[in-house]
Amino acid sequence: MDLLRRSGDHSGTDYGLDGIVDGNGGSGVGHEKELLAFVDATITGTAGEIAKARAAVESGLGREAVIDAAAVIAGFDAITRVADGTGIPLEPPKAEASADWRARLGIDDYWTAKV
Amino acid sequence: MRTELSKAVARAWQALGACGVWWTGEERLTIAREARAARHCALCRQRKAAAIPQAVVGSHTTATVLAPPAIEAIHRIVTDPGRLSEAWYKNIVATGLTEEAYIELLGVVAVTTAVDTFDRALGTPLRALPPAGAGQPNRRRPSGAKPGLGWMPMLAPEDVTADDAPLYTSGGRSGGNVHRALSLVPEAMMQFWDMFEPMYLHQSQMRDFGREYRAVSHPQIEMMAARVAVQNQCIY
Repeated sequence: MDLLRRSGDHSGTDYGLDGIVDGNGGSGVGHEKELLAFVDATITGTAGEIAKARAAVESGLGREAVIDAAAVIAGFDAITRVADGTGIPLEPPKAEASADWRARLGIDDYWTAKV
Repeated sequence: MRTELSKAVARAWQALGACGVWWTGEERLTIAREARAARHCALCRQRKAAAIPQAVVGSHTTATVLAPPAIEAIHRIVTDPGRLSEAWYKNIVATGLTEEAYIELLGVVAVTTAVDTFDRALGTPLRALPPAGAGQPNRRRPSGAKPGLGWMPMLAPEDVTADDAPLYTSGGRSGGNVHRALSLVPEAMMQFWDMFEPMYLHQSQMRDFGREYRAVSHPQIEMMAARVAVQNQCIY
């Protein structure tokens, strides 16, 4: 999320993070609805739900975007396991810069779920 | 599909069957097979739904004859990664899986997860596992690996020696914490990142917001990445 904020800084856009966390949208990112639905379907949905979400992305952004979106989802589905499976901490500058919105969005609660 | 992407995915998949540093090629494929089976494990489903996963006792539904610590590691990494803890990891190591073997296992699970998720997203059948390569693991641990960052020792860029695979310099990698995560087995780290970067972005592209490198934009990429992290309860 830090890089989304930095991307917004570059373009002068204040992307909303809340809707990415709660899944309700409102981030201001283009084609947000289709792309978030593609993520959610791929991670937790059935083959039918994935197909429907994939068709919506292709309709809105094209075939190459489907492939690149699938690659991003796949890569992060894996790297989150690498991070969580090794216990690496956030670098201090990243932790400091993200402290306010991590607390506000409930992301810090992920730590307390670890057992 | 971008050639760089299709080649990277194919290369990572083939490497699953190659002899590793701590596991043979056949053993690495067994880990991949178990990672796929974990998604259908009844015990893992019950634990995922429980407030405290360890409170649910029982046996994993397994597809292989891997030792119990390897089975537990694979199943939890696949089905409930967001609640893994240092105490859980220490128990895995105390019950017989070495730190290095755990890291290579994690790399195999990560590549299997990435490629299977990619194929699932695109609606293509899960690919057949590659053939097993010959050879015996050399079990070489990087001499400069040090404890202190994560749960296991890691190899910082300044501690890489000429005997180590060029895990940072080969990809222009800065050595951020996430780069170091798999560094106890440099070859595992490189196999993962050589696949991951074409899927996402190379380090030099991540903050180059004035130019787009994919058919989805920087904000779209970061939004999707963040949503996957939320789904997997990953703070990093």
